[in-house]
Amino acid sequence: MKQVPVLGPELFVPAKAQAGEEEQIGYEHYSYWRSTFRTFLKNPVSLVLLAIIIVLTLASFLYPVFSKTDPNKVALDVERWNLSPSQGGGIFGTDQLGRDIWARTWYGTRTSLLLGFIIALLDVGIGMFAGALWGYVKKLDRIMTEIYNILTNIPQPVLLLLLSYILRPGFWTIIIALCSTGWIGIARFVRNKVLMIRDSEYNIASRTLGTPLWRIITKNILPYLVSILIMEAALTIPYSIGAEVFLGFIGLGLPLDTVSLGNLVNMGKNNFMLYPYQLTWPTLVLALVTVSFYIAGNKFADASDPRNHV
Amino acid sequence: MKTNNTNIKMKLDTSPKNYGDILIEAKDVEVIFNLRGKKLKALRGAGLVLRSGETLTIVGESGSGKSVLSKTLIGMLDKNGTITNGSILYRGVDLARISREEDWLTIRGKRIAMIFQDPMTALNPLKKIGEQIREVIVMHCGLDARASRTAALEMLEKVGITDPERRYEQYPHEFSGGMRQRVVIATAIACNPEILICDEPTTALDVTIQAQILELIKKLQKDMGLSVLFITHDLGVVAKMADKIAVMYAGQVVEEGSVEEIFYDSRHPYTWALLASLPQLGVKGKELFAIKGTPPSLFKEIQGDAFAPRNPYALQVDFYHEHPLFEISPTHRARTWLLDANAPKVEPPEIVVKLREHLKKTTGR
Amino acid sequence: MGKYILRRFWQSIITVLIVLFVMFMLLRLMPKENYFTRDDYINMTEEDRTAYLRNLGVLDNPLVQFVRFLRGFVTGDLGRSITVYPKTPISEILKEKIPYSLWFGLVSVLLSVILGFLMGIGMANNKDKLGDQLGTMYVVAVRAIPSLVYLFLIQMWITHLFNLPMVFYEDEPASWILPAISLSLSGIAWYAIWLRRFMVDEENKDYIKFAIAKGLPRNYIMKRHVLRNALVPLVQYLPSQILLTIAGSLIIESIYSIPGMGGLLVYAIRQQDNTLVQALVCIYSILGVFGVFLGDILMAIVDPRIKLTSAKIEREVTA
Repeated sequence: MKQVPVLGPELFVPAKAQAGEEEQIGYEHYSYWRSTFRTFLKNPVSLVLLAIIIVLTLASFLYPVFSKTDPNKVALDVERWNLSPSQGGGIFGTDQLGRDIWARTWYGTRTSLLLGFIIALLDVGIGMFAGALWGYVKKLDRIMTEIYNILTNIPQPVLLLLLSYILRPGFWTIIIALCSTGWIGIARFVRNKVLMIRDSEYNIASRTLGTPLWRIITKNILPYLVSILIMEAALTIPYSIGAEVFLGFIGLGLPLDTVSLGNLVNMGKNNFMLYPYQLTWPTLVLALVTVSFYIAGNKFADASDPRNHV
Repeated sequence: MKTNNTNIKMKLDTSPKNYGDILIEAKDVEVIFNLRGKKLKALRGAGLVLRSGETLTIVGESGSGKSVLSKTLIGMLDKNGTITNGSILYRGVDLARISREEDWLTIRGKRIAMIFQDPMTALNPLKKIGEQIREVIVMHCGLDARASRTAALEMLEKVGITDPERRYEQYPHEFSGGMRQRVVIATAIACNPEILICDEPTTALDVTIQAQILELIKKLQKDMGLSVLFITHDLGVVAKMADKIAVMYAGQVVEEGSVEEIFYDSRHPYTWALLASLPQLGVKGKELFAIKGTPPSLFKEIQGDAFAPRNPYALQVDFYHEHPLFEISPTHRARTWLLDANAPKVEPPEIVVKLREHLKKTTGR
Repeated sequence: MGKYILRRFWQSIITVLIVLFVMFMLLRLMPKENYFTRDDYINMTEEDRTAYLRNLGVLDNPLVQFVRFLRGFVTGDLGRSITVYPKTPISEILKEKIPYSLWFGLVSVLLSVILGFLMGIGMANNKDKLGDQLGTMYVVAVRAIPSLVYLFLIQMWITHLFNLPMVFYEDEPASWILPAISLSLSGIAWYAIWLRRFMVDEENKDYIKFAIAKGLPRNYIMKRHVLRNALVPLVQYLPSQILLTIAGSLIIESIYSIPGMGGLLVYAIRQQDNTLVQALVCIYSILGVFGVFLGDILMAIVDPRIKLTSAKIEREVTA
């Protein structure tokens, strides 16, 4: 704050020219990405969820480093079967073969997260590439639109079932089945954006002013896409995890000797009447993972909307 | 904040005599917007007087608070904005203190109507335009279905839409921009309001259509005895429409007066700068005048005169002390220290001094 | 309008044909063993098997098979089930199954439309207030947690708490309650969240600002402008939602053992009954395409702008 002189006649003299000051008082510098992350991180809910996601991911991937418990180790001693946590079955108890559910939950979370990450990455990668082509190459429009119609008109669970039915059950089968339909939505979105942005007046203006292509792409196009793509990726993860549970239930999921959240939930369900903890704990962890990703994805989408920036 | 009088039934004094010819008198209006925890002071003690039957135009650059000021008159500030100070008197009621939605319903559309910038988006795309006019008539004039339909058809005719019977049944997308603005105007004046607020009604239109719409507003004003508050940043439109002018800068009315007073005897350096930047006044071969710099951020507390940093005539006092309102004539007032007795005598720029000649030469008026 | 419907109809027929062709060809990749019941396969000699397959027609050129399949499909001959109901014509099986799916589906459509719409309107009207936040929590829970997981929990816990039957019995009305509610949960969330979003979108449009300036009361604006316009984009998705709900839920019909079409598909897959899977998958796909077609037509009826730009209706929402 400036020192305020008393109002008096001596102040009524022309002010010295203060070169540059008239420009300084304008609005502060605005950066899209900084504002996006600041808005995202300022929300306590997003912050907590982000922390949960990071902790869960790290813990599930690092669990084998910290613990030597083998999630597939069957207890030969019948006494060790179906022990609830209170009966000394470990943190989450043991299952029908005496396997440690705590360890299995972490291994399962890792499998499911890995599945989700790979699918999200492939969906977004293929979707972005195909969408960009779709938007730029006019000849492709007809055929791509037809593919889009075919893939989206068929109910998604049915398509998922059919593909998993034809392929042999397994980790990569689930990935292929989910990705073969997942990319098209993203491609469609990217295509619409590309069409819209490419012909928007500010980009034509940019081009006529001689802005180099890479600058148009990084400054004008990418911000529109990346935020939505990050959200799509975040939302693909709970969807993939859910799909794995669904396929496991139908009998087209991961082989039973693979520890995954889907297998844990489906097995827990069978034993629920006698040993409810076998379903409850894996379910809670699964819900925590999917809900965190879902809300965090949405919160990020909100934060990436410039209208929500200060 | 003004909760203590929310339960008292608002009483509008509708007798014509009581308030002379002053319809609206806004004083020291202060509006603060809350943007994600930051406070933006959009109006910093703005005031204006609207007299019966006249056209008052508000001019100023984007962000000067023109629209915000007009929205306070009709209770349509965005949800995050509040009037924190000042009064807006209209027929014995302080509009700044109305908080109940029901009270506004007796004023909005009925006594004070408003039209907006973009006619392409102002109409519901899924409703027949006739119905959109009729619903106002039903709401405010209490007419039944058939009478209100007839009234709506009359309004369409009044704003110069031919074949109203057929047009009544059509949807907005079947109308051009100019035609839509006519429909919007018909809707706004359907219930004989006293005051029509026009928020840049021609900015989104073609120049040829602009003139037609301006003529229409003028004609309706004469026929219906409307008082018009006209917001624009186009001084050409001002010259065409205004009886009175209020110049706004950074949330304040810095100068107000009649058209003559503002165009030929303005006192505020910002008004000079505005006038000087009229492209019509440009001299071939010379650079057009432009005001340097940008308006101040209203997120920060402003000390002294907000225009000072951009003002070539700035005095030292401008950087420290708020400028008071000086009265030059009963209708002409300005906020600038240059009018203080202590201030050195400053001549306005030549271009402004010779404005009358310039205008005569370039526009023939 | 008529022209638009006709063109859209031909488009749908072509899409259906392509979909059926692709699915049919994909299913040709399945091992031939799936055309036998386990006992038959063991008891037959190699020649018997070949003769059996030739008799079924699955050794012919796939294109010939496809044409034969289409002809059968049109005349209502969907082939015979192999392992699930050995040698029974599929059309007869479906005749028994469809009523269950239909009734549960209708009840659930009714429940989810009514409750979902009420919830969506309530949330939009109280945006960012407690009610809206509670509603959002429900929607997030239903959409983020895999449906199988919460449906398991409902089946296990609620039956236990209220002493309801765990599976469906035709003669016991108490056993119908949970499946009907479970069927509606995701529908309610779906209608609520989209209606809320569309209403909030409409509320922020300029014409609402002008409607307020016209002095119309908020309730009137919400009902006659916001809600009415928000329903328009939703209308497009109603037919497919309804059709697919009526066609039966894969998960719910199997966990409650309801003898409907959705449960049948799950069972057919578990039993690797090729012809049955093929027939059901094709039926579901046709319903899907048909639903989208109906949605587009409905959209053109309620939105006057579409007649002019009938060439393209952009689809932004996915369920």
